[in-house]
Amino acid sequence: MQHAPIISIIDDDESMRCAVKSLVTSLGFGAYTFASAEKFLQSPHLDHTSCVITDLQMPGLSGVELQKSLLAQGRRIPIIFVTAFPEERLRARAMAAGALGFLSKPFESETLIKLIDKAMETGRKT
Amino acid sequence: MTTPATTGALNEQQVLLSTLPPSRGQKRLALAIVLVLLAAFCVTMPFAAVPVGYIRDFIPAYAAAMFVISSITSALLFVQFSVVHSRALLAVSGGYLFSALITIPWALTFPDLFGTTDMAGTTWGVLSRIWRLVFPLSVISYTLLKDDEAKTAWPRALSYFAVLLSAAGLLVAADLVTWLATTTRELTPGGLLFSVIDRAQADWNALLLLLALFALALLWSRRRSVLDLWLMVVMCGLLIELCLITLVGRRYVVGWYAARVYFLVSSTFVLAVLLSETALLYARLARSVMAQRREREARLMTMDVLSASIAHEMNQPLASIVTNADAASRWMARPTPDLGEVKATLHQIRNSAYRARDLIGSIRAMVKRDDRNRVPLDLNDLVREGLALTERELQRNRVSVEVELGERLPLVNGNRVQLQQVLVNLITNAIDAMAEKTWPRILRIESAVQEPGGVLISVADTGKGIDPKIVDRIFNPLFTTKSNGMGMGLAICRSIIEGHDGRLQVSAGAEGGSVFQFVLPATSPDRANS
Repeated sequence: MQHAPIISIIDDDESMRCAVKSLVTSLGFGAYTFASAEKFLQSPHLDHTSCVITDLQMPGLSGVELQKSLLAQGRRIPIIFVTAFPEERLRARAMAAGALGFLSKPFESETLIKLIDKAMETGRKT
Repeated sequence: MTTPATTGALNEQQVLLSTLPPSRGQKRLALAIVLVLLAAFCVTMPFAAVPVGYIRDFIPAYAAAMFVISSITSALLFVQFSVVHSRALLAVSGGYLFSALITIPWALTFPDLFGTTDMAGTTWGVLSRIWRLVFPLSVISYTLLKDDEAKTAWPRALSYFAVLLSAAGLLVAADLVTWLATTTRELTPGGLLFSVIDRAQADWNALLLLLALFALALLWSRRRSVLDLWLMVVMCGLLIELCLITLVGRRYVVGWYAARVYFLVSSTFVLAVLLSETALLYARLARSVMAQRREREARLMTMDVLSASIAHEMNQPLASIVTNADAASRWMARPTPDLGEVKATLHQIRNSAYRARDLIGSIRAMVKRDDRNRVPLDLNDLVREGLALTERELQRNRVSVEVELGERLPLVNGNRVQLQQVLVNLITNAIDAMAEKTWPRILRIESAVQEPGGVLISVADTGKGIDPKIVDRIFNPLFTTKSNGMGMGLAICRSIIEGHDGRLQVSAGAEGGSVFQFVLPATSPDRANS
């Protein structure tokens, strides 16, 4: 389990953070949770994160801004967006910027799991 | 008794010349005009008897100006009457209309104007006196009637009819007066009366002076509104005119001309002020109407936003429940099930479900209108209870409380728990608004009678105030500036108050902070609390 890939979960809603963390760890991944994009960007776990699952609308930096910021740093971490307020415009923008997936809350866990698998595959390829 | 802050939506008192209290600036202006008139009077006095000679165009020009000024003033006042149906206003607007009408025969009978007519020179004097008799009398009737009038809701047609009828009546009266004054004097009772009016000029001037003085004193003792203030100025103008005329006692001297000019000047000023005041009131009214319309539109739009917000708020716990449930089944499905994790996720599921329940509860409370449990309430009691309920919070935040409760408040029919919720909510909001500020932290609660038939409660704080950018939205559901709130508080407060047929509004405080005010209809107009 020491080398289990790390998934970072960013959501301002605590119950959602915990739920996703529980799901992800049940799959055998390591997981870190952050209440805001800023906290994640400052975190030492940034370097060994294999996949990011982030909320779209958060106080402070939004999910899309986080994506931009990571790209600007040259980090190509696969990102899965999750939102309770699906908006086509934001979805198109996130996907165009290379997001792996875009899920509307409440989402089916199977869909998230498939996306995580996809993220791990792309991670292995590069 | 406290006076409510005059911010936010306009009430009846703030849009009528006959009820709007004069501002300090207006009082100063009125005083300045009176002082200028007095100064002019004093300056004129030494030269008052200097003969000027007959100026042919003076009387027609003066009469035309007076006719126009009096007609416009009377129209202005008739319009006010048609709004409030106050007999006092009808009296004074009638007085002005009569002034306008009598100006015509007055100018026509002026002795030297149309050469030798059979309208004898004395007719002119009689008309002058009648006018100076009728006009102060109309002002006196106005003053006597204005304060103790029951507000009657006349149908609009009836008020128009009253205006037309009085206009027609005054036209007939002016004609009659003119006819009597110009025809034979000795034969009719009216003629006899006129011969009385025609005699003893000095006595008459003294009587008219006293009458005008009485009107002025009466107005002064009952002064209240903008209209009262300016009628006093007119009366001062009339007094000065009468004084000059009495003192010089002759035509075509400086004093004789000056008297008319001064009265004309004071009347013109008053008309100008009343017109500008009306225009300002119109502008204020128009702004208020537009603001109300915007607010209504905002609230209609809110339903759209509301449903989206509810969807957003509800999806959050639902997503958490679904994901946790899936996680739990995965922990269970492991070769060695991790029961600790299962327990934790189940706990999360329960919490999310409670959150959804609370959300639904608050939406329900917001929408529901409950007519049961309505009892007659003394809002002053409610204020005291609300302060008692929040006492600890107030002390903890070192907020000093100022309370000014109106006496003899009428009772309000309402749901005690709901209205208490509103008060506590407003007090808590005020405490929160002042939490970031060090000094001063003053919570000020006032209650007062709000005419007609309402009770006003105002909760003012000295906090940071409300950003004008968001003031339109603070009553929206799910809008919040607090990190720990759901933004339902004010939305619920408003729906409770509106459920009681009242209204809740917010305005900026005079010295920073914000003032939340609500008005609730009283059960019976004059039930005093014991």
